[in-house]
Amino acid sequence: MIGTIVDTKELWETVVASLVAGVGITASFSVMIFSLARLADLRRSDRPLLAAGAGGMAALAFIVTAGGIILGMVVMLSK
Amino acid sequence: MSEDVILYIVVATALAFDFTNGFHDTANVVATSISTRAMPPRLAVGFAAVLNFVGAFISLEVAATVANDVVEGGAITPTVVFAGLIGAITWNLATWWFGLPSSSSHALIGGVVGATLAAAGAGAVLGEGILGKVLIPAIIAPTLAFVIGAIAINVAYGITGRERPGPVGRGFRFGQVVSGGMLALAHGTNDAQKTMGVITLALIANGTLSESAEVPFWVVISAATAIALGTYTGGWRIIRTMGTRIIKMDSAQGFSAQGAGAAVILTSTHFGFPLSTTQVISGGVMGSGAGKRLSAVRWGVAGNIVVAWLLTLPAAAAVGAAAYGLTELLGGGAAAVAIVAIISAMAGAVVFLKRNRTPLLGRSQARAEAGA
Repeated sequence: MIGTIVDTKELWETVVASLVAGVGITASFSVMIFSLARLADLRRSDRPLLAAGAGGMAALAFIVTAGGIILGMVVMLSK
Repeated sequence: MSEDVILYIVVATALAFDFTNGFHDTANVVATSISTRAMPPRLAVGFAAVLNFVGAFISLEVAATVANDVVEGGAITPTVVFAGLIGAITWNLATWWFGLPSSSSHALIGGVVGATLAAAGAGAVLGEGILGKVLIPAIIAPTLAFVIGAIAINVAYGITGRERPGPVGRGFRFGQVVSGGMLALAHGTNDAQKTMGVITLALIANGTLSESAEVPFWVVISAATAIALGTYTGGWRIIRTMGTRIIKMDSAQGFSAQGAGAAVILTSTHFGFPLSTTQVISGGVMGSGAGKRLSAVRWGVAGNIVVAWLLTLPAAAAVGAAAYGLTELLGGGAAAVAIVAIISAMAGAVVFLKRNRTPLLGRSQARAEAGA
């Protein structure tokens, strides 16, 4: 009966997309924070190669997070 | 002339509802940021008010009003809309009195359903619409936000757990400002649209606008202003419940709750699945608390919130039906609507001023919360 009232395919897509977006954004933002904190520590302890790696990871995580935010804005604007 | 008077009253009541919607739902956007000190309280509500105002302009395409999905379009008259709004405002004020976050949209739907029941009988109410647009989303949306919030906080702790708390806390607090901004924009877009839809519906029903007419700019700007003013007024009681009484929150939990809420709201918007922002954010807050430790959630407070959700539709419907009945009892014309509007405005003002004078916390309660 519920299947005739609610589009179950649409509902399932909403559940999966919300889960991926919610957990994904938190994960990428957490990686960014972690990498930036490591970057500061590694630069202080004069380990430039590892610091560069942490910086690269922070940049990648920033791109993923910013991409998620931009996607959210696009969803709002295209409503 | 009589129809015009009713129309003016409906517009004023819709803007009053928009104002209560703003101050009632401020908590959705700012409670977690204030609780974790990501932003000072006044700055947070100011920020949310501005973004709610901007959000109201993002999309001007008035979707079929929610009311059209739950009641027969032909049963909607300006008086029914007025009585429905009275039901919604009353429920918003009642839940604000007790500091309970509940859905303004569901209150509006409940009010309109109740007024329609009184005006045209049960045949004019679309049961499948209520089930599909209100009841099923009311179960799924907060549950989904709860699960995402619980998973997200564990992911956040897992990744950042070994780092020094200083930079991690600052990072998540910054993230909360961004995610809070997204929520405020989404709220302004969604909720101000409902008021614009209600006013446009009344203008069409009155013959002031044709059915194909666009939303007049004065409607857009007045709805945006009302929700922004309401947001800036700040529903501090609900902010306190959402920010500190459900769980004692750290910045990672605040970010996870807001992130879960924003993800559910935006993906649902994309797929066209209707939901209540209040229920989603509440679910996210509870999930980010339970994900850390089940006992971290004050389940008594959470239970009160769920009871308020269950009561929203029938309570707003009962007041909406009573408001419609009283209007009819007084003759049903413009004078009757005006009398009910004046009585409601006076009662609302008394409630608002009386409760605003009461301090948020008694001394003993404040000491208990400080020690918690």
